[in-house]
Amino acid sequence: MFQPLDPLLHSELRLAIMSLLISADEAEFPYIKEQTGATAGNLSVQVEKLSAAGYIEVEKTFKGKRPCTICRITPKGQEAFEAYVQALRSYLQPKG
Amino acid sequence: MEENMNMTAERSLEIITEQIAQSRKAVSKSTGQSLYVAGFCTMAMAMAVAIVNIIAMNNGFTPIGHLLWFLLPVIIWLAMRSINKKQAHAPVNLVSSLVGKTWWTFAALVLGFFILASLWNVLIIRWLSSDPTVIVSQQVAITPVIILLMGMSISITGHILKSKWLVWFGIIGSLVVAVGDYSGIMGAILARISSIHTVGIWHNVSPCLSVFLFALIGLMLPGLMLKHQK
Repeated sequence: MFQPLDPLLHSELRLAIMSLLISADEAEFPYIKEQTGATAGNLSVQVEKLSAAGYIEVEKTFKGKRPCTICRITPKGQEAFEAYVQALRSYLQPKG
Repeated sequence: MEENMNMTAERSLEIITEQIAQSRKAVSKSTGQSLYVAGFCTMAMAMAVAIVNIIAMNNGFTPIGHLLWFLLPVIIWLAMRSINKKQAHAPVNLVSSLVGKTWWTFAALVLGFFILASLWNVLIIRWLSSDPTVIVSQQVAITPVIILLMGMSISITGHILKSKWLVWFGIIGSLVVAVGDYSGIMGAILARISSIHTVGIWHNVSPCLSVFLFALIGLMLPGLMLKHQK
């Protein structure tokens, strides 16, 4: 039986953002942009969606005099990611 | 990367694996950059200390160049800050935090040991030797201890980053250079190339040579390899 996949995570860019953040305590916006190869505009939209769902928290701070955006995964985001990976398994396991 | 909602399960797994691996690679590269910068600064400082010592001793002063070592952590910190400002920070994760804590412990131990050993060598031994009833203890060998501590930190960093050659660079490099320095091999080589008038000067330059060599083998080269690993 296939488990439903979280539609918020079942998107290439949002899944990439969550995968980067799951292995990190926090990551800066330029780093996420560099690793995912996404445009700043598109990335901002996706980060906003994940933040609105409570999967990540976004902190706007300063690095010296320059503004700096830091993203962190929340416990709710971790749970959602784990559930997503669990659901993926049901699609990959051979039927027996 | 786009907002593709029709991914297969295989593609989803591929993205997760890719991003986690990239995250690990970014931390390795950032650590490599730090090792490279620390190595470069240490080598430059070793040369500066050697030059100042030679000039000072040629003019009848004590080897005051060693005081410059206290500036090294500040110079490394300033260099790292300037580099970090220009590029996106690697993510903070368990790996980078463990590497950071290892080097923080190294810096605290080295600074504490350097101050206490210098006090012992310069003040306490001088004070003890003025009292004929007390047998003067041996001087503390500062350079080999610092090199062994540095080798241990490099090796632990290698374990954390799962980099076997970094582990062995740290162990072999520090053992070779520390034993070379402690056993006097380094001094003997310098004595061989110096005259009776300059042997005292070279004696004060030999720790700089040891630190220079180890900074090259233990910091700069592994840093360069980590920075450029695929």
